[in-house]
Amino acid sequence: MKKKYRNPIGVKKYTGLLLIMPFLAGFLLFTVYPFVSSFILGMTDYNGIGNPRITGADNYIYMLTDSGFLKAAGVTLKYTAVLVPLKLIFSLMTALVLNMQIRGMGVYRTIFFIPSILGSNLAVVIMWQFLFTSDGLANQLLEAIGLSPVSWYGDTAAAMGIIILLRLWEFGSTMIIFLNALRDIPKEYYEAAKVDGCGQIMGFFSITLPLLKNVIFLNLVLQVIAAMQEFSAPYMVTGGGPLKSTYTLGMLIYDEMFSYHNMGYANALSWVMFVLIALVVGVMMKLTGRWREDV
Amino acid sequence: MKKYILLTAAAGCLISLSACRGKTSQVTAPDGTLDKCTLRFSWWGGDDRHQATLEAVELWNLQHPDITVVPEYGGWDGWTEKVTAQLSGGTEADIMQINYDWLISFSQDGKGFYDLSLLEERIDLSQFDSEILQFGKVNGILNGITVSVSGRGLFYNADTYKEIGAEYPETWTELLELGEKFSKKGKYPLDLDVQSGGTAWYLAVVYVQQQTGRQFITLDGELGFTEADIKAALDFYKSLEDNHIIRTVNTRTDEDGTAALYQSPEFISGRIGGVLEWGSSVGKYEISLTDGVLESGPMLSDDSGNNSGWMIKPSLLYTISANTKYPDEAAEFMNFMLNDGEAAKLLGTTRGIPASSAAQKSLEENGLLTGLAQENDTLLETLDTVTISPYMELAQMKEYYNSAIEMISYNTVTTEDAAREMYGSIKDYLERIRK
Amino acid sequence: MKKTITYALLTLCAVIMIYPMLWLVGASFKSNDEIFSTIWFLPESFDFSIYKRAWETVTDYSMGHYFVNTFAVIIPKTLFAVTSSVLTAYGFARFDFPLKKLFYALFMGTMFMPAIVTIMPMYLMWSRLGVLDTYIPLTIPALFAAEGSFVFMLIQFFRGVPREFDEAARIDGCNSMQILVHILVPCIHPVIVSICVFTFLWTMNDFLTPLIMISSVEKYPLSLILRLSADSTGNGYEQCKILAMSVIGLIPSIAVFGLAQKKFLSGITAGGLSG
Repeated sequence: MKKKYRNPIGVKKYTGLLLIMPFLAGFLLFTVYPFVSSFILGMTDYNGIGNPRITGADNYIYMLTDSGFLKAAGVTLKYTAVLVPLKLIFSLMTALVLNMQIRGMGVYRTIFFIPSILGSNLAVVIMWQFLFTSDGLANQLLEAIGLSPVSWYGDTAAAMGIIILLRLWEFGSTMIIFLNALRDIPKEYYEAAKVDGCGQIMGFFSITLPLLKNVIFLNLVLQVIAAMQEFSAPYMVTGGGPLKSTYTLGMLIYDEMFSYHNMGYANALSWVMFVLIALVVGVMMKLTGRWREDV
Repeated sequence: MKKYILLTAAAGCLISLSACRGKTSQVTAPDGTLDKCTLRFSWWGGDDRHQATLEAVELWNLQHPDITVVPEYGGWDGWTEKVTAQLSGGTEADIMQINYDWLISFSQDGKGFYDLSLLEERIDLSQFDSEILQFGKVNGILNGITVSVSGRGLFYNADTYKEIGAEYPETWTELLELGEKFSKKGKYPLDLDVQSGGTAWYLAVVYVQQQTGRQFITLDGELGFTEADIKAALDFYKSLEDNHIIRTVNTRTDEDGTAALYQSPEFISGRIGGVLEWGSSVGKYEISLTDGVLESGPMLSDDSGNNSGWMIKPSLLYTISANTKYPDEAAEFMNFMLNDGEAAKLLGTTRGIPASSAAQKSLEENGLLTGLAQENDTLLETLDTVTISPYMELAQMKEYYNSAIEMISYNTVTTEDAAREMYGSIKDYLERIRK
Repeated sequence: MKKTITYALLTLCAVIMIYPMLWLVGASFKSNDEIFSTIWFLPESFDFSIYKRAWETVTDYSMGHYFVNTFAVIIPKTLFAVTSSVLTAYGFARFDFPLKKLFYALFMGTMFMPAIVTIMPMYLMWSRLGVLDTYIPLTIPALFAAEGSFVFMLIQFFRGVPREFDEAARIDGCNSMQILVHILVPCIHPVIVSICVFTFLWTMNDFLTPLIMISSVEKYPLSLILRLSADSTGNGYEQCKILAMSVIGLIPSIAVFGLAQKKFLSGITAGGLSG
């Protein structure tokens, strides 16, 4: 049976293959080897120096009883579930505002992107301390409006909160992707809608959102991957504490690999992270019907 | 197609396994001559250490036009990762500055670094106490030479103590009594962190070591404490919190976030009156406070005056790569860095008070042996100190201490349960890595 | 009136966004204890000599040298990343070919693995090829669409351009390459600009990869120099100098973004994004 390739007339079935050559070559050169070696190392006891000792599935079996891993996996999932929707909504709202055509918008766009440029700069860490330590600005504001202060760094839920806030504040790249898409929506659509008696809010739901569905999905996938691999934000802000409440899977893998020199276990953990992300993204693609459309 | 995938996978396995085998290259034996060559020397540090070391390297290069030393240096962040990669690829520098616990992580069998006893003719070992030389031995093989020895000492904010009207404590009992005076003013006599330094556990260990005469972990990595000893240490820590000597972990985190104490407004403003720190790195606290306010305090003893149990360790060591092609030349340079009078003058105390007596003499003659680090060093010399095991310093071990202390501080477990768990994990871990 | 409120709100948010940056600039003039004592950004006094010292660095070279190093990585890397990502995305978005499903799954898979896992095997591989301590390990992977998120992003945007555009061009006699260059790329050029900006910023901030791959101080990119003086294990250091260096290091990033953001202007009706 010969498979039919849905290509425009005159396009050979290998044209596409040729175009993805950079990826394919890169996959063979730079991906296969690290992936395979990491998979093999995941089945050994290896300290990074000397000879790995083959232990089969021991690392994976140990993982099931490792409370540190189970906790980190739970923290990571919770973090992802809270951060990603908030970040998408926040970025989209801001992109809508920054898409307005008013004088001086370029300056505002640049300023709104500065947090993302700062990234893990020391200034950010110190600023968060000024904001959220017990007599920091956040608590002063809370007290000013008659609320009781919060133990931001010391309380398990609040500590997660300030990390999420940090990542929300660094929303630049998500916002840029939305801006790119918004710019492509023809103004005529809104004008036509206006004639039909459609308000701004209805316009957003009936025109903007449907037109943005590709990009929303794009940001969703990228942000889910980033959140599930999260390492630097909790590392900088809370160090994973208190009581491991912000200790993510990414931090655990890093520590096992470079601090504790358990290369074998670190690699096994990485494969678990891989499978977790693949599952989450796979389910999202299935639910939205993207898989069928993308390939 | 499946066949190809399988083939690729198989090829990949082969490559990766051969990569895992790591370096099997032969160790180059010393040939007794100094040849023309280029050596790489790597270290981490801050600006003062970089500056001083670069000057010393420059002096060496002037004196030895044939043996060029190329410096490789950086900040502390990520340096372990870099060295880990280099050692597993066999691409490390010829001479390296290392941390004490790296002897265990990178050279469990003593073969991870060059055997320096083969180079005794080049390195003047007579400048070092035999006890200090022992620090650099792994599995009986001399892997590293101690650059400087350091102990943790207590340092106090003189202004704070004056304001409270308190004396620096000399015994544990006196320390525990300070809480009352300090709490009235909302201040604390001391601070112990549970972050990477593991300071809180350290003091608790000293307390128990002094009482029992047992060493927490022996030099060759046996757990010396019993479960009851660990519980006693945790109980002692808890009593510090209960007596208002230190902040609880919760309060500390609330007030400082994850900032190091010397970057904490509470310390800078004098609300926290003291700190337990390595003599070799107390400088950063001095910079945060105005000049001369930080003072070295007595090492605490029990009521009968027994002040044993305090610990010292090599703060840094130099090693030579097991893969070096020029062992003689590398050793010659190492000797220069350790023992040369001129070099010592340039290097000053940027790596702590030098362990080499030749270097110490040079510093003394040039009036460079001053300050808190020196005071602390002198204090420790009068004590019956214990040498920390490199195993005690491993990151995984610190993780056990810190999480136990955090849990008892947050009252999520009792000290009995925490001690039982900690005893078990430490015992298992030590057994596993010593295999 | 409505305009005033918009500006007021925008400005308020802008202050929140930019304050740490302001503080950073101010703090570069402060002493260690002043830095950690106050959230207020203005220093007690200004001493610009700190910037001179920061610029000189402790190494044999000034920061200018390290800027050149960084650009020697960024410029090829950006070109490589854009070209390879655009081609790969075009292939996936517009063509059907043997094993496409498998390759697409493999491609998605490369994005799921945490990057630190690949660092050590890559180090060993570059070491075997004898190219450690050169910029090859930092730039060459970009030639092979190494940044999966870029490809994924481009695929989604390509899909937003109606296929009718391609077909019309094909009828006019354009081949697949011409369609890409003359039709698709112009339609999504802001996305390509975004990719350049992201590559620029991420490379500026990238720390661990250059740290491990580059061992000669003279070849260090800026990100390594910015952390060269910080040693939390040692005897303390001048915080303000590190902050001053990071202020200098941020200037190109902000400038590049400021220039690029014009490309995100709204109003050109090239095509919809209806999938």
